[in-house]
Amino acid sequence: MVDQQSRLQLSSIPLTEAEIDRRKKIVDLSGEDLSRIITLRDMVAQQTDRYTDAFFQYLDDLGEAPALFGKREVLEEAKRRKREHLAAMTAAQYDRNYVEQRIALALLYSRHGVSTPVFLGAFYQLLRALGNDIMKSLAKDPNDAFKRFMSLKKVAFFDIGIMTDVLISERERTINLQQDAIRELSTPVLQIREGLLILPIIGMIDSQRAKQLTDGLLRSIRANRARMVVMDITGVAAVDSKVANHLIQTIAAARLMGSTVIVTGLSADVAQALVALGVDLGKISTTGDLQSGLEEAERMLGYRTVRANEAMGPRLSA
Amino acid sequence: MAIPILRQGDLLIASLQAAPTDQDLIQLKDELAERIGHFRSRMVAIDVSALDVMDSFATRTLRGIAHATKLRGANTVIVGIQPDVAFAMVQLGLTLDGIETALDLDEGLARMRPQQDGGTPDDR
Repeated sequence: MVDQQSRLQLSSIPLTEAEIDRRKKIVDLSGEDLSRIITLRDMVAQQTDRYTDAFFQYLDDLGEAPALFGKREVLEEAKRRKREHLAAMTAAQYDRNYVEQRIALALLYSRHGVSTPVFLGAFYQLLRALGNDIMKSLAKDPNDAFKRFMSLKKVAFFDIGIMTDVLISERERTINLQQDAIRELSTPVLQIREGLLILPIIGMIDSQRAKQLTDGLLRSIRANRARMVVMDITGVAAVDSKVANHLIQTIAAARLMGSTVIVTGLSADVAQALVALGVDLGKISTTGDLQSGLEEAERMLGYRTVRANEAMGPRLSA
Repeated sequence: MAIPILRQGDLLIASLQAAPTDQDLIQLKDELAERIGHFRSRMVAIDVSALDVMDSFATRTLRGIAHATKLRGANTVIVGIQPDVAFAMVQLGLTLDGIETALDLDEGLARMRPQQDGGTPDDR
């Protein structure tokens, strides 16, 4: 229960009276509708189990929500909530409590792999069953039956509005969490010699990532006392003027901290794109590939790389 | 409060404290230009690591100091620009082009020594 409560808080729907009223207004739910819906109460109450089973039978047949049927207690929980829903739906009390229950049910669906279209399909089946029964029970006055059904449909759309909002926002939340995780992994700054850092950049650079990249690099320069940085953009497929500008700004900031940046791995496409954009690259040193960038950086730091046998050679002959 | 200038051999070190006023900076500029001649200094290091803001006036004054000391026969290095300050400066277009910068005082002096000892500048 605690868990459910905290999840309700997380949901994107503000549970205020004003919001609930707004949603009622959107579906045009009037007092007349409420009195019509109440008349359906007994009919629905007699058939609750049948509607509920039909709803979940449909989901099961569709095979789109296996996670919901994998665990018996989850399914029972969902069925219980659906029965409650049917009772509440015809009780014509669409208050805060009703909305909370809709949100809780949507969260349960979302956790067990029911997607928005599948949910909508199942809900349609439920409505159809309800509609058929209403028409049958009032066969003498189809006009009246139709009106009652349309009133009930307003509530159905009220519910759908809430449920799809929750399903979509839950999905967005998952995507955001994954993106954060990827972003954290995406731009490592690595020291490969004393005073020499490499910064391999792979993938798309958006503005948030660019900011993180700059922050990470400048802080690493200070922490590692780096004099040279090799920024490798072999893995960047496309560079627009915004990204290019940001890279140039980062390089200028690194220089202010006393560090020289060499950019390596500009692909043919990227190089041509930068020229076409007219980006001023005059102040940036570049080399073709990572290897020559590292060699250049090491040379500037005063390192000389020799093969072990070459280094040994003169000493042995002397 | 005036900015203190320390002397060590042919080296002058000015260490800026938090938030110097424009007046302080102008006074530093005048005093450095004066003392370079007086002490026959060859190097000037300006430490800005205590600053968390560098406005355009401060940047312009530092640039002016670097150029004036060059004319008076000494090299200037600006040391200790903080990461946030550096990026803010770049976004304001204050990039100190052509002026030597270094991570801290230690690094700045190491960078200037080879030139001063008559060796060739190794990297630029």
